[in-house]
Amino acid sequence: MPAMKLYVPHVGHMEGLQKLLADPSKIHSVYMAGSPDYIGTGRTNLSAPTLESIAEQTEYAHEKGVKIDMVLNSSCMGGQQLTPEGYRAIGWYLDRLNDIGIDSLTVADPYLIEMIAHEYDMETVVSVLSFVDSPQKAEFYEGLGADTIVVDPVVNRDFGKLEAIRDVTSGDLKLLVNEACLYQCPFRYAHFNFFSHANGPGPKPNVIDDYYYYKCLSLRIRNPEQIIKSPWIRPEDLSEYKHITDMFKIGGRTHFVEWILNNINAYYNESYDGNLLDLLDSIKDLKDTFYVANRDLEGAIEQWEKCDKNCHKCGYCKRLAENIIKIQTEDGNKKLSSIRNPEDI
Amino acid sequence: MTITNSLLKVRTELEDNLRNLLGIPVYLIELDAFALPCGCSGATINIRGFTVDDIEVFEEHILKFLEEATLKLEIQPSFLFARLIPGTAEVASLNARMLCDSCYRDFARGEGKQPRPDIYILKLEKNK
Ligand SMILES: [Zn+2]
Ligand SMILES: [Zn+2]
Repeated sequence: MPAMKLYVPHVGHMEGLQKLLADPSKIHSVYMAGSPDYIGTGRTNLSAPTLESIAEQTEYAHEKGVKIDMVLNSSCMGGQQLTPEGYRAIGWYLDRLNDIGIDSLTVADPYLIEMIAHEYDMETVVSVLSFVDSPQKAEFYEGLGADTIVVDPVVNRDFGKLEAIRDVTSGDLKLLVNEACLYQCPFRYAHFNFFSHANGPGPKPNVIDDYYYYKCLSLRIRNPEQIIKSPWIRPEDLSEYKHITDMFKIGGRTHFVEWILNNINAYYNESYDGNLLDLLDSIKDLKDTFYVANRDLEGAIEQWEKCDKNCHKCGYCKRLAENIIKIQTEDGNKKLSSIRNPEDI
Repeated sequence: MTITNSLLKVRTELEDNLRNLLGIPVYLIELDAFALPCGCSGATINIRGFTVDDIEVFEEHILKFLEEATLKLEIQPSFLFARLIPGTAEVASLNARMLCDSCYRDFARGEGKQPRPDIYILKLEKNK
């Protein structure tokens, strides 16, 4: 059996949890969003479970030997958290979660991290949306009282940084394996702030188009090498990270349970035979456009381990993309070059 | 052929044509037929990886592909436009619309390619 703790997304209703935990043996903890009336989250929410439902689901997970984490990782609360009313409302909500027996809270705002670490026994987890990508930030958040840090995936392929973060922290580190944002994504702050408002306490913006997501897909469609550069971690490569941590988080709480179960199996077994895009969270819409045979990525980690990420000089990911990314068409999967003018490549 | 089969076929053909024209894997995320309460009807093609620059450079070809596609869906290609994310180069969708009288008056009154920041008109046949 692999020695690892898998942290698994949960859509938030009892039916989903029962399906997810039909076989709980591979799952260490599930995480879910709470009610957006108190603190939102940095992603789209499919459900807004009531306190009664959270209590019922917590009891069920605990019976199955699985921990429950509440994700309260708004990256922007518009300052409400610092008003007397905001402080009271958040405090009231956290008291209820504490009474219910929630095991941990994943939070992005440093103020909330300090507050929770000081006032509650629930484990305090620093969200990926706190963007901890250096030993300095890791030390800072530990100093605020955090128990666990989810490292910013931007350094998932920067082993020097990962090792430095590991060296300065005495708490736990968690790696998010399948998020697949653009490498050095310029949209992250703006996009998560937008989500936080759209999925938090009102007033909610009446948005027509999610510019950040459209643009994100567009950049990959026009430059498919961006898919390779995204700092996801293949199931097969988890072993390369065992000296950093044994805690791995799977992203994707807006997916169907079957999708989540497929990911759990892949990462638990450290093996996946299929389209890499089946496993990736944030760009799921591209799984019908591109086919990236996961097995074709065998050994790429060796390059990424030593790579200094000066893409314009290196060109490794670009060459890899040209070789292995296929375009899905009506008459089968085709190489990128079949539709591209080779001179443009 | 059922309407859904026609939509599937047109979606694929149009995607292939645009990919071959532009040399990038543009992606037709969804092709919908619609009917509005005002009386307008038509089709919306949600698209990713497609920009205003592509339209400006290849307008003639894109218009031709779009006209062919809409005819196959039995939509008169008299009003064709792209919906943009205002202030950006991103095209959110391509649209073919058979206008009701009232919407026709709204659009026919406008001038130029971009009567609104979110609309780029590829073709608007004026009534005689
Ligand atoms: Zn804000
Ligand atoms: Zn109308």
